[in-house]
Amino acid sequence: MSSYFRVTLVRSAIGLPRRSSDVLKALGLKKRMATVFHPVSPSVAGQIMKVKELVQVQEVDRSLTKQEVHLERKPDPGYYIERTSVAEFKENTSA
Amino acid sequence: MMFKPSSPLFSGLLWKIPWRISAPQKARQRKRLRAVDRVVDTVSAALQRNGFQAKAVERWYQEMPREEEMLPKDKYTIFDKKEKKYRKGIHKVPKWTRVSQRVNPPGF
Repeated sequence: MSSYFRVTLVRSAIGLPRRSSDVLKALGLKKRMATVFHPVSPSVAGQIMKVKELVQVQEVDRSLTKQEVHLERKPDPGYYIERTSVAEFKENTSA
Repeated sequence: MMFKPSSPLFSGLLWKIPWRISAPQKARQRKRLRAVDRVVDTVSAALQRNGFQAKAVERWYQEMPREEEMLPKDKYTIFDKKEKKYRKGIHKVPKWTRVSQRVNPPGF
């Protein structure tokens, strides 16, 4: 079973040594609040340790796509579309 | 006369860092220390679960105290050989909110 690091850049590396911004670039973090996924490995752990003051880290089971990460933040639309009970029943039974 | 001569107004660029660190600044400093602890804990737990080891993580645990183990003295001040009692406020360190500075020379 392999898991992933979910790394979010919460503080920018402006004014920090060149090395920290290079590590962020290597991790694929280009701007603040950007999120990337990397498989758990010692080398990624070392990279995270270099920028541990700047990031938030979670261990997750699978890596999400950029769009899925974006949809996590999508607010509730505030409405729902009504359908006939037949259509709803069909969808529930087929799934 | 509107102009009131004070040192920041009178002499161009002059920023002053207060001698003392304020209570909310201290609270935020503790929060940041705990956040770093949390990152390291997460990384270490994930590595262990997958059967890996990383030198950087082990070294951190060997050398660095956790936030709750640190003395207030080490949380908010730092050794400086030029200061009168060999200590200055941690907020005088450049980029102090984004660097890990937890241990000081023994005896100081």
